[in-house]
Amino acid sequence: MTRILPIKYQAKLPTDRLIRAEAPSAEAIEMDVLFVGAGPAGLAGAIELAKLAKADPTLGDLQIGVLEKAGSLGEHCLSGAVVNPRAFRELFPDVPVAELPFRQPVGGEAVYLLTEGGSFRIPTPPTMQNHGHHVASLCEMVRWMGGKAEELGVNIFAGFPADALLVDGDRVIGVLTTPSGLDREGNPGEGYAEPTDLTAKVTVLTEGTRGPLAQAWREWRGVGSPNPQIFALGVKEVWNVKKPLDRIIHTLGWPLPRDAFGGTFIYPMGASQIAVGLVVGLDAKDAGTDVHEMLQRLKLHPLVRPYLEGGELVEWGAKTIPEGGYYSLPDRFSGAGLIMAGDTLGTVEVASLKGIHYAMQSGMFAARAIAQALKSGDTGPESLNGYDAMLRGSYVASDLRRRRNMRLAFKHGFFLGGAESVLMTLTNGAFPGRQIRIEPDANEERTIRARTAFVPDNTLTFSKVDAVFKSGNATRDTIPTHLVVGRDVSAEVAEFYSHLCPAGVYERVGDELRVNPPNCVDCKATDVLGPRWTPREGGSGPKYRVM
Amino acid sequence: MKIAVCLKRVPDTTTKIVVGAGGKSIDEAGVKFVPNPYDEYAVEAAIALKEKAGAGETVVVSLGGDAAQETIRTALAMGIDRGVLLKGDGSADGLEVARVLAAELNGGGYDLILFGKMAVDDYHHAVGVMVGEILGLPVLSSVSALRVEGGTVGGEREIEGGVEVLAAALPAVVTTDKGVNTPRLPSLKGIMAAKKKPLEVKPVSLGAGTMVVTGLSLPPERQAGRIVGEGPDAAAVLAQLLRTEAKVI
Repeated sequence: MTRILPIKYQAKLPTDRLIRAEAPSAEAIEMDVLFVGAGPAGLAGAIELAKLAKADPTLGDLQIGVLEKAGSLGEHCLSGAVVNPRAFRELFPDVPVAELPFRQPVGGEAVYLLTEGGSFRIPTPPTMQNHGHHVASLCEMVRWMGGKAEELGVNIFAGFPADALLVDGDRVIGVLTTPSGLDREGNPGEGYAEPTDLTAKVTVLTEGTRGPLAQAWREWRGVGSPNPQIFALGVKEVWNVKKPLDRIIHTLGWPLPRDAFGGTFIYPMGASQIAVGLVVGLDAKDAGTDVHEMLQRLKLHPLVRPYLEGGELVEWGAKTIPEGGYYSLPDRFSGAGLIMAGDTLGTVEVASLKGIHYAMQSGMFAARAIAQALKSGDTGPESLNGYDAMLRGSYVASDLRRRRNMRLAFKHGFFLGGAESVLMTLTNGAFPGRQIRIEPDANEERTIRARTAFVPDNTLTFSKVDAVFKSGNATRDTIPTHLVVGRDVSAEVAEFYSHLCPAGVYERVGDELRVNPPNCVDCKATDVLGPRWTPREGGSGPKYRVM
Repeated sequence: MKIAVCLKRVPDTTTKIVVGAGGKSIDEAGVKFVPNPYDEYAVEAAIALKEKAGAGETVVVSLGGDAAQETIRTALAMGIDRGVLLKGDGSADGLEVARVLAAELNGGGYDLILFGKMAVDDYHHAVGVMVGEILGLPVLSSVSALRVEGGTVGGEREIEGGVEVLAAALPAVVTTDKGVNTPRLPSLKGIMAAKKKPLEVKPVSLGAGTMVVTGLSLPPERQAGRIVGEGPDAAAVLAQLLRTEAKVI
């Protein structure tokens, strides 16, 4: 076998488990509005809603809840991140910029085209100019926002993943949380805690990238999109360094193969830390594409190495990014009792490498639409349509629309895609005058190519096992598996998964696939192309502090 | 039965510690704080004892800044009835800490006062015992098993190669060690209930004390491991190196 079609080996999403038509237990916790996921979208939404409720007594004393699967806030959040402060300014008009949770303003910026041994500075593409933006750690931003939310009386439940949507007819009425303390076979063990039902008038899915509940809900309600969603995988490291970096750097080219879409970033995070990361589209043709390994190679490149030498790896993490853009947005953003926002919805604009402020803004629109619906007393299936209208009429949708075909053009290859994207910029998105149609990542065929093994030096470069340790992952070894592996996984497919997963969850041992679920850092890469990810015990996974 | 638990907010044990600018304290920037794990055993013991008795009151007392309220709320979410924050700066001198805690606990009518056997941030092992001394109460320290029957508290302490069985009349002070129980995780219901439980804040100021920390340093970095070979031949090389290089055999 020299080719692999990933979809052939992928298990179906366990929709029956994720959508439960059960009456909530008598012990259920009653919320008015429940956000699933304490990322930028969920927290901005909860904060905006709490503010609206405070300003308008007719809304009454709203109970707002935010569920988070990480043990504490921010521990599962990862982004580059260069942040456009627009949504922050709107949400916190009274907080001076200097007090917002950013590391530093963007000083200068440079874009390079890399070859294996050299680099050429190229003009910064218009979409990638970051004047007025800030370098930040998403973990720190989320912790800061969590504090603001709690001050406003929002109930934050960290360590409680949502396991399934509770539904009544076609209406979402809440969620239930995952049990914890199950043994390997899935039976209650020591410290077992049973699931808890939470009910809400509106459930807002802000699960982040590749949210399982949103996928299940869309399948159940038949909510499609003009194009399927497509993803990239990013791996990022934060280093303590001896001398500060004075600008943000993006690179294209090596170590990515020419038929893969992506690039790298190197950002200063104050005087003594830098972030370095590498992002590759999950449609990369080479079955041996290994993002973690490519990042390790990048660190040895003459452009990057001098910044890291003598420094120390502080933290490592990985996350997928929904890259489809405008045409991958669902046909509906809301339904009966439910709204989707942020990465779960797909509010990422790849050409400018931005998602955080769009995610926050979508959460804030969700809050406003919910407030309107609650005030009018309308609980009908159309009552949250205001959200769709608000988002579609906003800069979020128009920014995505202006760059609607840019990522998609790179399906035509690096050089043709690059040329097409220039024309798109010149025409403000009008070129080529139609929607470029794409396939889901799992339907793109992979080729098995010869590859040279990479041996880490344990100083600048590290194995996946060491990397997972640096993610802070201390998931207990006796946890039952949360990954659903398809049937007929051949040796070649096992090998493909082992390269795809940045955390060493999948290994090829002989001709067999070995799965190490506790290693999982919830990046969702294999959920896109292989084994499915499902919610597991709260507090599992990474414990990011500065990602 | 009325039970007090003294609880300290400490850096998470998995946190990578950075020594602060003065060289005498840690740099708290970005550090995650948690309830002292040994104190969590005491919290669990208090809740379990009250549950078993079917009546009584459990109170958690903490000394620290405003941030310690979060730590107290965690204990309230686990099931403690109310909290008291003695708001003030701690001290490296455990005796000063013991004095303010004892002043708060004195006259509170507590049958049992529980502590973790030590705090993981300073390894003092002293505050609980000193509070017992100041209040003139018997102290069962470092117990890995705990029972209350009638007016008596019984405990077991693991010693080198055996177990000491201890007992004292109530009221008494007990400090808890690993093994005494498995602390429960707060439930969602518990977290909701904790928001409504009383948390009293009382400003305190500590004496200067007679002991200070003069320096703080990190342990030396561990050297990377080395693979000396594979198969039976490597065993001899390994034994040789363990004798001559590592000097452990």
